[in-house]
Amino acid sequence: MSNTIFALRNVHYAHAGKFPALCGIDLTVTAGEKIAVIGANGTGKSTLLSLLDGLIFPDAGRIEAFGRELTEDALQDEKYAQFFRKKIGFVFQNPDVQLFCPTVKEDIVFGPLQLGVSMEETLKRLTVLAELLEITDLLDRAPHQLSIGEKRKAAIAAVWAIDPDIILLDEPTAGLDPLTTRHIVDLITLASSQGKTIITATHDLHIISEISDTVYLFDKSRKIISSGRPETVLADDEFLKKNNLLHIHRHEHKDTVHSHPHLHPDTP
Amino acid sequence: MSALSFFKDALYADAYALKKGFLQSRDPRINVAAILLLIIAVLFVRDTAVLVWLYTFCLLLAACSKINLLFFIKRTWFFIPLFSLFIAVPAVFNFVTPGHPVFMFTLLHHPVTITREGLSGATLFVMRVATSVSLVILLSLTTKHTELLKVLRILKIPQLFVMTLGMCYRYIYLFVEIIEHTHLAIKSRAGTNIKHKKGREIATWSITNLWIRSYHLNNQVYSAMLSRGYRGEPQVLHEFKTTLRDWAWITAAAAISTLSFAVY
Ligand SMILES: Nc1ncnc2c1ncn2[C@@H]1O[C@H](COP(=O)(O)OP(=O)(O)O)[C@@H](O)[C@H]1O
Ligand SMILES: [Mg+2]
Repeated sequence: MSNTIFALRNVHYAHAGKFPALCGIDLTVTAGEKIAVIGANGTGKSTLLSLLDGLIFPDAGRIEAFGRELTEDALQDEKYAQFFRKKIGFVFQNPDVQLFCPTVKEDIVFGPLQLGVSMEETLKRLTVLAELLEITDLLDRAPHQLSIGEKRKAAIAAVWAIDPDIILLDEPTAGLDPLTTRHIVDLITLASSQGKTIITATHDLHIISEISDTVYLFDKSRKIISSGRPETVLADDEFLKKNNLLHIHRHEHKDTVHSHPHLHPDTP
Repeated sequence: MSALSFFKDALYADAYALKKGFLQSRDPRINVAAILLLIIAVLFVRDTAVLVWLYTFCLLLAACSKINLLFFIKRTWFFIPLFSLFIAVPAVFNFVTPGHPVFMFTLLHHPVTITREGLSGATLFVMRVATSVSLVILLSLTTKHTELLKVLRILKIPQLFVMTLGMCYRYIYLFVEIIEHTHLAIKSRAGTNIKHKKGREIATWSITNLWIRSYHLNNQVYSAMLSRGYRGEPQVLHEFKTTLRDWAWITAAAAISTLSFAVY
């Protein structure tokens, strides 16, 4: 098999058939890449990740995953479905959606047990991940007893437990304090250094140079309007400003008022 | 909002379940079976004295499980009147339960007599409700809800049903929070003096909103399950261990239950 993982050709998608979310996406992802998908709210980042995870399917255009067209029918095939779900892990934007089990522990073992990993191996992964993410004390808690940072970590552990080769992350650092953000960025870079393919949707410009080597910028037209190395995309202030990723801050210094562009770490 | 917080407290207080007392250290499967045996005894015994003994035993269990007795009694007796008084009180009087008079008075120019038979019937009834409610509350206080759910699974109730129940429980909390936040948001915007009609409109709006949200949540949660390999039959973790002490406890419960029958 070639090392192309995803190939998207002119993909269109509208929610409920009438709310356009993606309007003509072309994208190729090869094994081991680190990709960041950036764009303001409502530009279709989450929709793209759901398409890549085979949770929704294009209205027009074509998605190939591992050399086979990704359709609802293809995923009806038990063997392909099992292979596909083991290969790809998705950390959802809303951890309350992702953590649907009564306790953190049950959430972490859910994926591997569904996918036929042995009980022994599953419990081993549970211990290792709990330690790596520093959530050992939280394993018996219910998700509603966790802070947002702890929920994010638990959601990450639940996906890492599947040991997928491709990891999709939807705004993994939104709403987190700098220390927890650091912790999560380190986990992503660690996974990448182990050869995993990482695709992250974010508008946290501070982290993209660490978590990506290719950036795709989405805009209100719900298309990719620019792509390239993170330093190149980040250097274009005017461009970022136009796309709502940069704020102009006004400061008063003594008597003079001046304004300068300012990276906005976490647009809500 | 106090009704909501009470509901949240009652549903989610597991401080006692985390203590290392007698019941907390037992296998939850055994606890469910033992409490069930005791409740069966309570429901069939016809002697108030035996019920008093069973009630005392329940309090003893609570004390051994490191539960503050005052708290426990308050919590159980808070629920008991709701169950019993409406049924028990009328039975005290002579026109409901005829028998030997113990006490007489006039109410609205009618003589009313409380009979011995009526009184003892009512005591029996109240004791029965009190003891069974106490046992159920004791079980729910000392077992984490997640473990109760697992016990249901083991009792051969279909996994899918138990999982659904667990998810309802999981998301009720989220909804309680959404309701709380909506209420706060309305209060902060409109103040507390909302006119009746306006208030009703807001309530309808937030219920519709909740409905839409629950629909979205449902879809999304299903996606999250699919994404992690769910194909219609959930696989779960079993990790209960039964020790000698567990068997001793269930034997004791069975003995007490049988003994209560023997006495009556
Ligand atoms: N369930 C949905 N129903 C209708 N429209 C939706 C739904 N989810 C997203 N959309 C719309 O699709 C567009 C893209 O959304 P999304 O992919 O969530 O963007 P992002 O993740 O970049 O914020 C937005 O205009 C949004 O309003
Ligand atoms: Mg999104």
